[in-house]
Amino acid sequence: MNRRLLGVVVLAAFTLLAAVTAGAYAGRQATTTTLTMWSYDNQDPGLEPVLKQLSKDFEKSHPGVKINLVFKDFNSLVGTVPRALASGSGPDVTEGNQGYQTDAQLVKAKLILPLTKYVKKYGWDKLYAPSTWGMFRWTPDGKSFGKGPVWGIAQTGQNVVAFYNKKKLRQAGFNPNKMPGTFAGFDKLLGQLRAKLPDGEPVIMEGNKEGYGFIHLFGGIWGASVKPTAVRNWIYHVPGSRYDTPGTIKALAKLQQWGKAGYFNDDFNALGYDASATEFAKGNGVFWIGGDWDSTIIKTGLGAANVGVMPIPPGPSGQWASIGGLSGPWHISAKTKYPDLGAEWLNYVITSSRAKALMYGQQQIPSDRRAKAPKGDAYLAQVGKAFQLVANDDGLLLYTDWASPSMYTTLQNQFQLLLAGRTTPAGMAKAVQDDWAKFDKTLR
Amino acid sequence: MADEGADAARPGELDPGAPRKRRRGPTRAPGDPRNIGWLYVLPGLAFYVLFTLAPLLHTVYYSLFDWDGLTPKTWVGLANYSEALRDSVLRDSFVHSAILIVYYAVFPVIIGLGLTAALTRSAIRGFRFFRTVLFLPQLIAGVVIAQAWTWIYASEGPLNRFLELIGLGSLARPWLGDFTWALPSIGAIGSWVTFGLCMVLFIAGVQKIPTSLYDAARVDGAGPVREFFAVTLPGLRAEILVAFVLTTINALRSFDIVYNTTAGGPGGSTIVPSMYMYQNAFLYNRVGYAAAISTVLAIAIFLLAALVLRIGDRGEHQ
Repeated sequence: MNRRLLGVVVLAAFTLLAAVTAGAYAGRQATTTTLTMWSYDNQDPGLEPVLKQLSKDFEKSHPGVKINLVFKDFNSLVGTVPRALASGSGPDVTEGNQGYQTDAQLVKAKLILPLTKYVKKYGWDKLYAPSTWGMFRWTPDGKSFGKGPVWGIAQTGQNVVAFYNKKKLRQAGFNPNKMPGTFAGFDKLLGQLRAKLPDGEPVIMEGNKEGYGFIHLFGGIWGASVKPTAVRNWIYHVPGSRYDTPGTIKALAKLQQWGKAGYFNDDFNALGYDASATEFAKGNGVFWIGGDWDSTIIKTGLGAANVGVMPIPPGPSGQWASIGGLSGPWHISAKTKYPDLGAEWLNYVITSSRAKALMYGQQQIPSDRRAKAPKGDAYLAQVGKAFQLVANDDGLLLYTDWASPSMYTTLQNQFQLLLAGRTTPAGMAKAVQDDWAKFDKTLR
Repeated sequence: MADEGADAARPGELDPGAPRKRRRGPTRAPGDPRNIGWLYVLPGLAFYVLFTLAPLLHTVYYSLFDWDGLTPKTWVGLANYSEALRDSVLRDSFVHSAILIVYYAVFPVIIGLGLTAALTRSAIRGFRFFRTVLFLPQLIAGVVIAQAWTWIYASEGPLNRFLELIGLGSLARPWLGDFTWALPSIGAIGSWVTFGLCMVLFIAGVQKIPTSLYDAARVDGAGPVREFFAVTLPGLRAEILVAFVLTTINALRSFDIVYNTTAGGPGGSTIVPSMYMYQNAFLYNRVGYAAAISTVLAIAIFLLAALVLRIGDRGEHQ
C-alpha cells in the first residue's frame, strides 16, 4: 500500500515536473524577444562599454530578452536612421540627433513615439531642469523646436571645456592653480603663451577635420559676448532671432584673430577631433578646447594630476556659457512591437544607480542632475564642476548645427573659410543667417 | 527572374500552332532579322529596364517634387531645376569636376601612353609583373585608397617627411586641409588610380597594330619618338577614345575618394556634384533636389561622353 502510494506520488511528481518544464520551455520559446538598439556612442573608453555592460545586466534581470546593440559612427547613423525606421525592420530604440536635421524629420514622419507616458511612469521629469527639456520637445508637425511633447531622453551631460596641461603652463611661467576668471584674462593668457612658446608649438591643439571642432570651440568665445538665451532662441527658430548680431560678429573676429596670431596647430583642417585630443594627451599644445566626453583620452595620456579642466571663462556679464547640452537623444521607434520594454531599458541605462556608477567610471557625466560623483576622484570632480558651472548658470548654448538641416555643413565651411582668411566675420555671419532664414521660411 | 520573363513571353512570340506565322515565314528573305531575336535579348533587356532605366526615370520623376524622402511629396514642377541653375555650390562642384577631369582623364591617358611606349617597344624582363603592379590601383576599393592616401598626405605623413628629407621642407603642408592644394591632392589620387586602366587598354591595343607598320617605320629610319607618333598613336585611336570616355565618367562620378578624404572641405573647396547630391539626399532631407542634381549630372556625363566620341569620329573620317 505504502509502496503503491509512493509509486503514485513519484509518478504524479514526474508528470507535474515534466508539464512544468515543458510549459516553462514553451513559455520561454514564445517570449524570446530581441530588441535592437542603435547608438553612435561608440567611444571606448567612453559610453560603449557602459551600454554593453548595462545591456548584459538587463538581459539577466529579464529572462527571454535579448538586447542587440549596434554601434555606428555618428554620420552613418544619422544618415540612415530615418529610412531604417521607415522600413519597419530598423531599430526598436535608437539615438537620433536634436535639431532640424534628424529629430524634426523623425517626428514629422511619425517614425518615433512621444515619451509623455513614460516620463510620467518613471518620473523622468525630475532628471533635467525644465529649460533643458526644450531640446527634446517638438510639435508633432516637426516645425516648432523647444515646444510640444517630449520625444527623446538622453544619457549624459556634455560640455565643451578647456583642458590644460599644467606642466606646460608652469614651464612657461604661469601658475596652473590661478587660472583667469574672465574671458579678457583668458585671451591675454593665450597671447602671452604664444610669445613664450617655440614657433612650431600650438597654444591650442585643434582638430577640425570633421568640421565640428571650431563649431564647438567657438562656443566659449561666443558666450562671452552674447546672451545664451539669444543663442538658444536662434536655434529654436524663435521669430526675429538673428545670428548676424554685433556680439556674434565681434566673437567671430576674435576667433579669426586667434587663428591669425598662430594659436592653433596649422594642420587643424586635416586633423580629426579625437586625434587632436590624442595629440594634446601626448603633450602637444597647452590647451585643448573640446568635449568633456573625451576626458578619458586626455587623462590616460597626461595623467590626471597634470590636467586642469575649466570652461572658457565668462565675458562682462559674468554668466558662464559654452557649447553643450545633453548627449544624443534616445527614441523609441513607432513601429516597434515592444515600446514598454524599450522604455524600461532606457530607464535602466539612464537612471539606475548602476548606470551612473558605470558612467562615472568612464569619466562621463550622467545627465540626471541629482547624480553625485564618487568621492576621491579629483579629475572627475573637475570635469563635473565645469559642467555644473555652466549648466547651473543656464549657459548651455546647445549645438548650433541643430538650427537647420544644412547648418552643419554651412558652419563647417564658414569656419574653415574664416580661419583661412577667405571670409570676414561679417561675411560669415551673413552666410549663416542666410541659411537659417532660408530654412525658417519653410517653417512658417 | 529573367528566365521567367522569357518563359512568359514565349507563347506570344513563338506559337508553333499558329498557321499565319508559318505562312509568313518564307516571305522573309534569308538573313533578315527574325522576331525571335527579341527573345534572345529579353533577359538582358529586362534587367536593363528593371535596374537601369526604371530607376533613372524614377529619379527624374522625383526631381519634380519637394520631398524629404519620408513624408508625402509636393509637386513643384521644374522649381528644383531652376534652383539648381542658381545654386552657386552646385556650380562650384561642376568646376571642381572639370578640374578633376584633367587629373582623372588627361593625365592618366598621357601617362598610360608613355608607359605603353616604354613597355612595348622592346622586350622587357618582368613585363607581366610591371603590367600587373601598375594596374593594381584599379583593383583596390576606393575607401581603402582614400584611407591610404589620407595617411600619405597627413602633416606628419610620408609625403611631408620625404619633402623635408630632400630639403624641401618649406613645401610640406597638410595637403588635404589646404584650400589651394586639397583638390589637386585628390586629383593626384585619381591619376594614380586610373592610369593603370589606360595602360592596360593601350597595351592590348598596341598588340593589334600590324608589326609590318613598325618594320616599315624603322626601314624609313624613324626613331622611337617618330615611330610613336606615326604608328602607335594613330593605331590606338579607338582605345584612347574608350579610355577618355571611361575616365571622364569616373571623374564626374567620383564620390568615394572625396567622401573619405575631405568630404568636400575645406570650406567647400573640394565639393563635387555627387557629394553635394549625397548631402542633399541624406543630410539635408531634400530628396527631390538631390534627384534634380543627379539628373543634371547624368545629362552632363551623357553630353560629355557624346562629345568625346564625336571628336573621335570626326578624326576618323578626315
